[in-house]
Amino acid sequence: MIIQVRNLSKTYEYYKKQSGLWASVKGLFRREKLYKKAVKEINFSIEEGELVGFLGPNGAGKTTTLKMLSGILYPTSGEAKVLGYTPWEREAAYQKQFALVMGQKNQLWWDLPAMESFILNKEIYEVTDADFKENLDELVELLDIKDVLDVQVRKLSLGQRMKCELVAALLHKPKVLFLDEPTIGLDVVAQKNIRDFIKSYNEKNKTTIILTSHYMEDVKELCKRVIIIENGEIGYDGDLTSLIEKYAPYKVLKVTFEGGGVREEEVRKFGEVYKFTPNNVTLRVPREKAKNVARDILSSNLPVDDILIDEVEISDVVRKIFSKEK
Amino acid sequence: MKKYLTVFKTQLQHTLTHRADFFGYRIANIFEILIQIVVWSAIFGTTQQVGGYNYSEMITYIVVGRAFSFFTANFGLEHVIARQIQFGELSNFIVKPMSYLKYLVSMSTSRSALGLISAIITSLILIVIFSNYIIAPQNPALWLLIIAMLILGYLTHLFITILIGFIAFWTVDISGIFFSVKALEKFAAGVYFPLNLLPAAFVNFSLALPFAYTFYFPIQLFLGKTTIHDGLIGLAIQIAWLLALYFMIKGLWRLGLKKYESVGI
Amino acid sequence: MKKYWSIIRNEIQRQFTYRIAIAAYAFGNIAELVALAIIWTVVYQSIEVVKGYNASEMISYVVFAWFFSFLTTTYAFEANVARDIHMGTLSNILVKPMGYLKYMMTVATGRIFVALLVVLIQVIIVFYFFWDKLIFSIDFPTALLLAAMLVVSYLINLLLSILIGFIGFWTAEIAGIYLALKIIKNFLSGFYFPINLLPATLVKISLFFPFAYTAFIPIQLYLGKISFAEGLRGLAVEIVWLVILYGIIKIVWRFGLKKYESVGI
Repeated sequence: MIIQVRNLSKTYEYYKKQSGLWASVKGLFRREKLYKKAVKEINFSIEEGELVGFLGPNGAGKTTTLKMLSGILYPTSGEAKVLGYTPWEREAAYQKQFALVMGQKNQLWWDLPAMESFILNKEIYEVTDADFKENLDELVELLDIKDVLDVQVRKLSLGQRMKCELVAALLHKPKVLFLDEPTIGLDVVAQKNIRDFIKSYNEKNKTTIILTSHYMEDVKELCKRVIIIENGEIGYDGDLTSLIEKYAPYKVLKVTFEGGGVREEEVRKFGEVYKFTPNNVTLRVPREKAKNVARDILSSNLPVDDILIDEVEISDVVRKIFSKEK
Repeated sequence: MKKYLTVFKTQLQHTLTHRADFFGYRIANIFEILIQIVVWSAIFGTTQQVGGYNYSEMITYIVVGRAFSFFTANFGLEHVIARQIQFGELSNFIVKPMSYLKYLVSMSTSRSALGLISAIITSLILIVIFSNYIIAPQNPALWLLIIAMLILGYLTHLFITILIGFIAFWTVDISGIFFSVKALEKFAAGVYFPLNLLPAAFVNFSLALPFAYTFYFPIQLFLGKTTIHDGLIGLAIQIAWLLALYFMIKGLWRLGLKKYESVGI
Repeated sequence: MKKYWSIIRNEIQRQFTYRIAIAAYAFGNIAELVALAIIWTVVYQSIEVVKGYNASEMISYVVFAWFFSFLTTTYAFEANVARDIHMGTLSNILVKPMGYLKYMMTVATGRIFVALLVVLIQVIIVFYFFWDKLIFSIDFPTALLLAAMLVVSYLINLLLSILIGFIGFWTAEIAGIYLALKIIKNFLSGFYFPINLLPATLVKISLFFPFAYTAFIPIQLYLGKISFAEGLRGLAVEIVWLVILYGIIKIVWRFGLKKYESVGI
């Protein structure tokens, strides 16, 4: 067990801020304190080499959890062990074994070439010259960033910068890696590059990785296991594929019709019409009724050519989860 | 017109949420004035006159001058402009049916409004404390002239600040340039010391520039060291400069925008 | 140890990319000094001695106070500390096996390097213009003591900057507080004028704070207005303050970090 989290909670304090000029004036004298439970008593554990995705809408508590696991935030209650250490004690021995990459915050020195930040990290993490050279060469090769090492970081594109951030984080070969929105703001190609890299790095080095992302593709491609966090609570923890059964009590029937096809009124009685053309109809039906409905359609007098029972797309499921966002 | 009023109100709220900053600046201002007064008090402890100013006149120069500089202040607007240019926020204005220059004027007026209220309070306190030393003009026409000069002084200062802020179109290394230009501006306006401590040639030279009319010149009127007649000439020069600055801003804005569009900054 | 050297090297390189901005400050800095020099020159036209300072002593005071303050300034390092806290970049360092305090002190050391080069050029210019008005007379032990005082002064200023920067843990609005504290600090340190121009009680109060030992006392030592023994005493007081400040920083850091950990800022 690499990561073990038990009853971990985090409550933030903040002040109420009302809109309007008069409210601002009142705010000069009195402010109302409010509490927000960002993470509520969550439990999970992660094995060595797993690549787990944290999913959830904005403000669900994903980043808060990652910050607690990296020792930046002190929890309100509960405990966590990563590699046997309690993260918020911030022991150097722990810090040398993990890394945190935040898509929206960079650790590279903005005004200098990335190489300088790499060298600094080498010294901070006390990586030997030989290891440094070997790791760096490998990472640079994998990410194909040889040409940008000597360019000021501020002049790099977002994608190049994120690649450099990854290199900086991986130079000390961390056993655990936390990736907070590593592909945010990147274009589709750059996203794919980063994704491919994470995948092969995880397979090759058996690094334990937790990833949060907004992009369905990231999760679909990378994570076998997902943990869904909603309103600070774990809504689901398990295989990506069985996620569908829980969140999508529907199956999809794709029916093809011959000849002139059908009218919409004719198929409406079988289930919810999802997509409609006279020759191709997609219906959503409750999971347990799927077989019966298929039989009903076949035995009806409609000109059925073919019928296909399918699962709902993962991305649809997740979109549905996210759309509950407040 | 209403949109600019909304800009004004929104900015006012923004300033109100930054109240700690606000009080910090006021405390800093009071200290600065006290320091100057202490130094001049020590000097006037041993002499009656310095450069043609007696003690009361010097205290008036400092206290009233500080009040005047509050009226014409825009509290570091050049940095706001530079930030908008460099972080690309300017694009938000270019795409909207609103003139950036008018936006700046309404925003800055709002930023200054709160500063102004607190500055009036600060100034009143100081003026009461030093009322024995402060010389005030009696002639209402003179007051009118001074107020007109201060309003124009506010605009002059604002226009100069906008011009300085536009430097950000051409270079990212602005902080040092801003600091130096501002320091030279203060020097030429007579903020550090009355300009006529310097040789007459220098005074005449600075009266041909716009800076002195935002600070030194109104105080001279206030102290009765300049006649109303000369004051009116000063006002005319100020208006001429305001127009000149306006056209300079227009021109520079066009050039800057071309740069902004081509580089995408 | 190597990591600290790496940080210093990075910071120096970084500063070099801002060399134009840093150099641009020079004009403004010199303008402020010139303003002070002009005031005193005019004052000494009508007086021989102000509170025991004759003209050349006063000009020397002003120039050396200016020079020493640039040798010991941290160039608003508090803003860097506060920015780390607000932008959350502090997290980047917290997750690494390195102490933040040590990290920041190292960065600060690298940071002043380029600025010092600019100061040297400034000083050459200033000394050239004020040459015949300045007092140059110092023996070797005094020079050594002076150097020691300046080094400790730098460290005091650095710790103060970091301490002020830690205010960022509790409020996002720091600019105003900084300015107020900076002016009070400059005032009490005798940066603008010799603090013995002030009433005796104020002088006593300011000698209780560490600030006077960063400018006033070293210059008094240089001008021969206090004895070597008194200078040594000043150094001792400085060192005591350094230790106290370090203790305070440790405590504030602990509290601040608790806040950071709990709020996530």
